[in-house]
Order: sequence, then structure tokens, then C-alpha cells
Amino acid sequence: MTTITAAPAATPLARPRAPARPSRSAAWATLARRRISLSAHTPREILAPLATPLLFALVIAPALAKIIQATGRGGVDYSTFVIVGTVGLLIPLTCTFAGIGVIVDRAAGARRELLTAPIPRALIVLGNMAVAIGVSLLQVGALMAAGWLRGSHFHATAGGVAWFIAAVLAFTVFMYGLAEILANRIPTQEEYVGLTPVVAILPWFLAGSLFPITALPAWLAWVARALPTTHVLALLRYGVLDRTGAGLHDIWGLTSTTTDAALSLLVLAGWAILITATAIRVFTRSAVN
Amino acid sequence: MSARLHAVSNHTRPAVEVRALAKTYPGGVQAVRGIDFQVAPREVFGLLGPNGAGKSTTIGMLTTTIKPTSGSARLAGFDVVRHPIAARAVSSVVFQDSVLDKALTARRNLDLHARLWGIPPSAAASKITELADVFGLSEVIGRPVDSFSGGQRRRLEIARALVSEPQVLFLDEPTVGLDTRIRYELLDLISGLRGRTGMTTLLTTHYLDEAERLCDRIAVMHQGAIVAMDRPDALLAALGPELVELRVGQDPDGALAAMRARGLAAGDAFAVGSTLTIPLGSHSARDTITAIASLGIDTEAVTTRKPTLDDVYLRLTGSRLAA
Repeated sequence: MTTITAAPAATPLARPRAPARPSRSAAWATLARRRISLSAHTPREILAPLATPLLFALVIAPALAKIIQATGRGGVDYSTFVIVGTVGLLIPLTCTFAGIGVIVDRAAGARRELLTAPIPRALIVLGNMAVAIGVSLLQVGALMAAGWLRGSHFHATAGGVAWFIAAVLAFTVFMYGLAEILANRIPTQEEYVGLTPVVAILPWFLAGSLFPITALPAWLAWVARALPTTHVLALLRYGVLDRTGAGLHDIWGLTSTTTDAALSLLVLAGWAILITATAIRVFTRSAVN
Repeated sequence: MSARLHAVSNHTRPAVEVRALAKTYPGGVQAVRGIDFQVAPREVFGLLGPNGAGKSTTIGMLTTTIKPTSGSARLAGFDVVRHPIAARAVSSVVFQDSVLDKALTARRNLDLHARLWGIPPSAAASKITELADVFGLSEVIGRPVDSFSGGQRRRLEIARALVSEPQVLFLDEPTVGLDTRIRYELLDLISGLRGRTGMTTLLTTHYLDEAERLCDRIAVMHQGAIVAMDRPDALLAALGPELVELRVGQDPDGALAAMRARGLAAGDAFAVGSTLTIPLGSHSARDTITAIASLGIDTEAVTTRKPTLDDVYLRLTGSRLAA
């Protein structure tokens, strides 16, 4: 005989009172602080991405400059040209390393606890992203400072720095969103790390980091124009190096450099919004069976 | 009715309300097949069943990490699909596996929970101190969790779930993987929660002693369905005060049929492998064993004992709860 008893049914009651929960900004700040605490325990996440760009900027670029003895357009020395270009490698590496934290959270961390918290799940992605942005800004600052100490000359104006920072922010958001998508789609850390060269390094070689994209075969130059990395590098150089905007002109070919810059920033912002929305969707879907 | 049980009255909203809840995973696996139950405020309710019975999927749906295919579920009146954030705000979960930020200290883990559940900092600080004391974590609260033993981690996870003073606490196999001594210590702690808080607890387990000791009512799950639901003592009472267990040399089904034909075994007797279990009902053990001997059944061992929840489960499903 099967026994099934149930507690007596309750009569309909008034709508339950909404329980206490944190504001979105408080929850977001808590999640960002959590990520900072976790990153502080793994300093390699911060230091490792900086090593390769620093090597490029401080050793390889000056060495190449000696051999090539090249002076870039606008009178920019080659070493400085490459140092700014190296930002396009630094940010992808930083964001890719940050993505490993997402996998660790899923496999051995507190992700499931976060998923049962009374907060919108998008905040988990945005909290991690905030830290990736902060770390990227610090690292870019460190790279530029190292270049300056090595003898690079930057032409920084308030407007130029604004273009520079806006480009760094938009590109970091794009790259972190991409890292979050991959980290949530790829089952193991090993497979994820295996993708790093494709995501972080390959586009950098094509994006005008070491030479203008006009030096590429014509068809490859068109591929480069579609890459967010190409737009960010052109904007960064326009911001602090080359007010003629040669890199931007290579992409758009318009007569107004400001219009070229605005269009490139628009492309970056569009990519950043699209990829962030996709990252939130992928995270939410992967979090709920 | 058990004095411990706080039944849902007409004036009280159930803490947990589940109606026709079902989950079919992609690929067609029906993990939960339209279950119904209610849990009253302050009740401790157990979902009992072996691995794969659908317990964890049920908890996943109630904690909004698994999307139901059909049916509904409410926590303190909040629908888990339509108002998931409110449902999460009134509940906390202790997961089967360790789900902690191991690089952070125990205090930081507790504090994170408090902040994410919107507990004011001053209230959180005193609550954390109190819970650390109750759970024996005061001396290690400043240490990183990766230096903790398995038992300490589990205590920390239960303490963390209590920081937000949830109306509904989910304990998903809370003692699985722990050694016996730590397991019993933890059962003491969980059992002690009843007196301290007014919360409702929904516990999944495949340990029978755990369910008997902690739960006011138990739902027995088998292949995604609830096959019985009652108080532990009522489920046991259905098998009578005593039973006879026989291990037979051959043809257990034939032996059972012979006993039924002689009126020695009723419909609630069952065979699993070469072991027959025969609830005695109003018969005496001595008379029954004598009568079985007269049937000429090839018997290797005979014992009498009190029924357990394992017998209840075997009778209902034909398989054992735990290996």
C-alpha cells in the first residue's frame, strides 16, 4: 500500500510581502569586491599578462627599430609606435586570464551560491567585468609609463587622452565579454587556455600593431578593418601619438580625422554592447539547466 | 500528529508549495514527473531516495537553478519562475558539494552572503559572530577556507546559509562524503537548528537515520515520482512492529508464493535477491518461523527485527536506498 498524506491546503492569502534584498549597485559592488579579493590571491592573473607586452615594448620594439631604422608617419618613432600597439595585446591577455577565474568559479568556487542570491544574475558578469576594466587600466598605465621611462615621446592633450581612455574602456568591455562567453561555453580550463593565441594574439598581428595595415595584402587589410583591435590601436595612436590619425585614415579614408575617430569608437562601442549582452545571455543560460 | 509537526492551517501560507512540478531534460530524461507537496512553516521535510530519484533536480527547481518543464512551485508565496529573485531572497541553500570561495577567509565568505542577501552590515557582523560561535568556527574564522577540514567546510556552509535568516533552508545531502564522527556532529547541529530558528527546512538524503532523526515528514522519491509521503513513524507503522527476514537458497519468488498461499505472508511481503522480508502483522515471530520451517523451504538464515525506512523503501520500489 502506498501512503501519501499532505499537509492541509492553505486558503488563498494576500500577496506575500517583498523580502529585503540589496540594491543593484550594492550587489554589483559586493561582487566586484569579491573578484578583487580573489584576484589578489592569484597575482599571476595580473602579472602574467603584463610580461609579454612589456617585453615587446621595452626590448623587442627598440631592437626592431634599430634594425629597421624606421620613422613612422607623422614623425613617430617606431619604438613608440609599437609600445602603443602593444596595448592591443595587453588587454586581450588580461581579459583572457580573467576568464579563467570564471571557469574556476564554476568548477571549484562559489558560483552556485551566487546563482541562488537574490540579485539579477547579469550582475555577476558585470561585477567581474568591472574588475577586468580596473586591472586593464592599471596595466595600460604601467605599460605607457614603462615606455615613457624607456624614452618614448607621447603627445598627450586632454582631448587625446579622452579618446585613448574611451578606446581602452570599450575594447576592454568587448574583450572581457568575449572571455566570459568562451569561459562559459568551454568545459575545461585546458581547452580555454588553448584558445588564447587565437583570441588574444592572432588578431593583434593583423591589426596594425607592428606595421600599418596598408602594408598587408589588400584582402587581408579588409579583414583587419573588421577587427576591433585595429580600431582600438588606431584610436590609441590618434589619442596620444599621431594627431594626423594616419591609422584611422587607413581604415576609413575620410577627410575628417574626428569623424574617422568617432566612427571607430562607434564600432568599438557597438561590439562592446553586443558582446556584453551576449555574454550575459550565455552566462544566464549556462547557469540554469 | 507529531508534536514537532507544524501543519499548514487555513490561516498560514505554506513555506513550500509544489504543484505538478516536472522536469524533462533535453534528450527526454524525465527527472521529475509531476510531484505535489506542501511544507508548513517550521516543518522539517525530507526528500528521501537513492541517486537519480529526482531529489536534487527538485531542489534545483526550487532554488531557481533548474527551470521546470511544467507545474509550479512557491517559496513563502513567491513563484520560483515568475518571481525568482524574491524566492531566492527568502531561501538559502547548502549544496551537496563544497561551494565556497576557498581562497577567502571564512569571515569573508559569511560576509559576502550577508551583503548579497541585503543584511545591514551591523546586523551581519553580530550574526556572523554568533553563528561562528554556535558552529565552532570562532577560532578559524580568519583563516582561508582552503585550510579547512571537510567537516569545518560543511559547518561553514550551513552557518553561511543561516546568516540571512532564511524562511526556507535547503540542505541537499548535507552529510554526504563526511566521516561518521563528523556526520553525527553535523546531525546534532542541524537538529539543534529547529529550536533556534523559525525556519522551514527541506532536506534531501539517502541516509535513513538522518531522515528519521531530523524530519517531521518524509516524501519517498522513486524514478522522479513521490511514492509515499508521511511521518517517519507512520511509514514504519504500515509494516507493523516486527518482521521476519529469510535468506533462501533458491527460488525466492516460489518461496514467497508458498508463504502467501499458507497465509504466512501478506501483500506487503517482498523479495529482493535471495532475501525475503515478511512483515508479521498480528502473527508472532515464533509461530511464523515454525510455519515457514514446515513448508520445507531451503532457508539459509532467519532473523527477526524491527522495520526500518529501508524496508519501507524496498516495499515501495523494489530497490535499496543506499548501496
